[in-house]
This record gives sequence, C-alpha cells and structure tokens, in this order.
Amino acid sequence: MRQTLKKELQKGSLRHQAIPAQPALVRICHWGFALSMAGLLLTGFELHQPAHFLAFQFGQEYIIHLTFSWLSMAFFMLRVTDAIFRKDRSILVGFKDIKNFPKLLSYYLFLRSSPPPAGKYNSGQKLFFTSWLVLFILGSILGLASYDQGEHLAWIVRLTGGWQMLRWAKYAIAIYFGATISVHIYLSLTEDLSRLQAMITGFEDKFEHAKTR
Amino acid sequence: MLNRRDFLRLVVKGAVLGNFLNLVGPPLEKAAAAGEVNRLPVIWLETGSCTGDSISLDNIWTPALMDILYKILDWRYDWVVMQSSAESAFQVLLDTVENMANQYTLVVQGTMLQRDGGNYNHIAYHDGKLITGLELVRRVGLKARYVVAIGTCATYGGVVAAYPNPTQGTGVQNILPERRVINVSGCPTHPDWIMGTLLHLALYGEPELDSFGRPKMFYGETIHNNCPRRRYYDQGIFATDIGQKECLYRVGCKGPVTYADCPIRRWNDRMNWPIGCNSPCIGCTEPGFPDKMEPFTAHFPDIPFPGGTRMATDKIGLGVLGLTGTAITAHLAASLYKGRLHHNLLKSTVKQNSRPPVKKTKSAKTYRLKKANPATPQPNSPGSS
Repeated sequence: MRQTLKKELQKGSLRHQAIPAQPALVRICHWGFALSMAGLLLTGFELHQPAHFLAFQFGQEYIIHLTFSWLSMAFFMLRVTDAIFRKDRSILVGFKDIKNFPKLLSYYLFLRSSPPPAGKYNSGQKLFFTSWLVLFILGSILGLASYDQGEHLAWIVRLTGGWQMLRWAKYAIAIYFGATISVHIYLSLTEDLSRLQAMITGFEDKFEHAKTR
Repeated sequence: MLNRRDFLRLVVKGAVLGNFLNLVGPPLEKAAAAGEVNRLPVIWLETGSCTGDSISLDNIWTPALMDILYKILDWRYDWVVMQSSAESAFQVLLDTVENMANQYTLVVQGTMLQRDGGNYNHIAYHDGKLITGLELVRRVGLKARYVVAIGTCATYGGVVAAYPNPTQGTGVQNILPERRVINVSGCPTHPDWIMGTLLHLALYGEPELDSFGRPKMFYGETIHNNCPRRRYYDQGIFATDIGQKECLYRVGCKGPVTYADCPIRRWNDRMNWPIGCNSPCIGCTEPGFPDKMEPFTAHFPDIPFPGGTRMATDKIGLGVLGLTGTAITAHLAASLYKGRLHHNLLKSTVKQNSRPPVKKTKSAKTYRLKKANPATPQPNSPGSS
C-alpha cells in the first residue's frame, strides 16, 4: 500500500480532498470527555495517594473530582445518545475487528508495513472504545455507589464485596483508562494526523485519484 | 418506658457522653420490673473465636453487666458467664430451644468452621456425642426469633477465615441462609453495639440494617466522616508515619471505607480509640477483614499470584502505567528508526499539490526529500497537478 501510494504521489495522480468526518456534537463530546476524564483521573490519583509536593486542599480537590465526574458522565451520555439516534455503530467492536486485530498488532510491532484495511476506526481503536464504553459505565455506577455511601445503590456495594473492593475496582478501572488513553494519544499523534485534524475541524484529508475529480 | 425515638437519641447521646448503657439502663430496668418489657431470652454460642467479644462485653462499666443480663435481658446460656457446666448447662440450652422456640435470640460469636463437616470445632458434648458448632448453630438458629452474629468472625469470617482459610471458615449468614442474620461486626465488637442491638431487639424488634446486615444506628456513617482529624484531610495535611498527629490517610487508614461510630463512641469506657493514639483504622468492621484490609499501612490489599507471591496493588498500578510509557517510548524510537513516523506524518499532513517527491521509504535513513531536479516537475510548478 505504501509503495503504491508513493508511486501515485510521485506520478502526481492523487489529489487530496477534505471530507466531513466528525460531526460537531461528536467533536464537542470527544474534547469535553477528554478534558473531564483527564481531570477526573488526575484528581482521583491525587486523592488516592496524595503527593507531598502538591499542597492541595483535599476538600476542594474532592469537589473538583466530583465536578469532573459529573461532567464526564454528561458528555458520555450525550455521545451515547447521539450514537443511538444516528445509529452509529462505528465505535463498537465486531467479530471482524477481532479477526483483524492480530494483523493490526503485527503492523504496530513492525511485522508488516501497512495496517489492515479498516473503516472509520481500526480494530484496535474499536477494542479500546468498546472497553471504555463498558468500563466507564461500570466505573460510573461504582462511583455513584461510593458517592451515595450506601444511601442508594447499596446492592452494588454488596455485590462488589464491600467498600474496600469497590475502591479497588475503581482504582483498577482508572489505571486501565490511564494506560489506554496514553496509547490512544500517542497513536493519534503518530499514525494519521488527518484523523486528529478531523476531530478538531470536522474534516479529514483523504486521497483520491485526480482523474475521478 | 422509652419510645424508639428516645432510645435512638440516647444511642447517639450515650456515644458522645460515653455512658450509653448508663442512660438506657435505669428506665429499662424500671420498665422490666413493672412488667412493661418482656425480657428477651438470649442464648450465646461461641464457635471458632478468641472469646474477644465476650471480653469486650465485660467492658461495660455502668450499669454492671450482671444488671443487664438479669434485669433487662434473660441471659440463659453462655459458657463464659455460666456457673453450671457440662450436662446441666447444656440442658438449659436444650430446654430453652424446646420451650421458648421463636422467642429467644441466638447470639453467635466466632467463625463457622465448615471443613470436614465442622469437626474442627466442637462446642458441646451430649448423649456421648460431640456436637459441632456448625450443627448447633443451625439447630438453634432455625428455631430462634432473632439471630445475631457478634464480631467480624461470626459476621463475615474474620481473622479465622483469612487466607488461606484452612478450616473453610465463614460467617453465620452463609450457614443459615433461611434466616436474616443481624451482623454486629467488629474485632472485637464494641459493648455498646452488642447491648444496643440486643436492647433494640427486646424493645422494638429488628433495627434498621445496612446492605451488610449491620444496624445503621451504629454502622451508619464512615469513620472518615466523623473523624476528629478530618480537618487535616480536608486541608491536605497528612501524617507521613504512624504515630504522628495529622490525618493518617497516607499511611493506610481505612476510615474512608469503614462504617462504624468509633470516632464518637471510642473504646474502653471512652478512653481512646485507634486513631486517637495515632494508629490508622484497620477496617475491622468491614466484610473481607483482614484479607482485604492488609497490609494495614497501605490503601489496597496485596494481590496474590500463583506460588504464594504477593504484590502491592499500587506497585502493579504504577507498573502498568510505567510499562505503557516504556512501550510508547520504544515504539516511538522504532518508528523513527524505521521511518514510519516520517511516512505517516508526511502522508497525513502534506497536501498533494505541494507534496515533495520522496526517495525510498524503507527506513528513516533513506527517507529524505529529493534534491530539486530540473527534469522533474516540482510541486506547485505549472503542469505538476
């Protein structure tokens, strides 16, 4: 694919075209969710293990943590509602994606020169997005249960085996998000910047043959 | 006679003043003497435990324990305080079960040992046969009006059921699924929690319970919420070692995940409590104690691996994040070396009509812009698009 592209580029028979890729609501939800998740994770880790060099007021930090959690839930619900109304299943992983994932992995491990063909998102992205969907819902329920302190959702506390296990589960989810978000940011910056551009401007640069224009 | 509202008020007032039973006892004694209160018959069985809850109960100073046992409650069987022994003592238990079915309250102290049919824990000898704790608790519990598990061992297994749990210990609720067991947890249980629960049962029936079967009047709030050092936490002032006077959160205090009223009730006749002597709360009233609360100086329990190795959760978490960072750095370096980064960035950023011609793209070393060649039409030059 790369060789072909190079030849096409050298021949000058390819032209770029800006096509609409990400609707405004998706972009708003993405950046809103990204910022609130960043705040949620950072304040959560700080609340978990206070750093000596940061002399934060924990009462305020807790309020900030809660604010970010409500915001992230709002952006998440907005995005899910939007996906439902638009019948957008592009972020959900399917059987074909699981089948393609080893090929994608071999591309990331430099065992092949190009990634396998994919639609809007590749199989790795879909795996991440689907896992985030599930884990964010789970994390939100656990968070709400701990916020309510047994007044409501007490059955969740019981199901998890107590407050300590609930806290442990929240921590494990936070670590997963921290690790996968780092990978997501890295690949967004190094794989295809036009995708990142699409998440800001809404338009993605795509190549097409000059003759077809 | 006290109404329930007054009783609950005295539960809190007694915690603050440190004389709950002193406040509750006299009016109840009068009511019992006047026949307004039916004394609650109690059978106290001890299974796999250290007798710590009985010792804790002895810490009731005022009114004297015996006043409560004989004037307010009808303490019928308890091997620790009974004067009689052997068959004559056991006969009291059998008579109570037979004649006062659905009237008496069964109080269990200790873990239920299930391994080998419960034969690691014999608590009686009758008709030439040893009786296991498992068997007797089930037999007595099924006919009881209320079943109360006292101490973390009886409620959730506790120390006896800790890893590797060789005796397959568990809580009373698990061996009596037919009954709702009232859990009065703690290692040991505070005497006020025991007596308060029993008095509530005698006077007003079953108290309001939380999701783990604990009376909310004693376990309704976290240690953290009522902690006198909460202001240190809110200000972000933390002790760096056990023994310091600031908030002990950083040294593994389990106050945020532990429900009990220790901060206001305190222990040993309101003398002190763990955090009061600069030691973190170890979460002894919570299910999963001690396994899920150990190590006591860390927030999370260690994670066991096959072969007996254990690793701290925080280390694993930091390890995962560190490994991710290392993998990203390594991938970035490899992408630079292989030329993938150049290729991807050029492919996705340079527009076709200004795209420069490129050399071979097999590796970073050879991925360079071609020098301007008059023979080759340059981008943006006439005829290039």
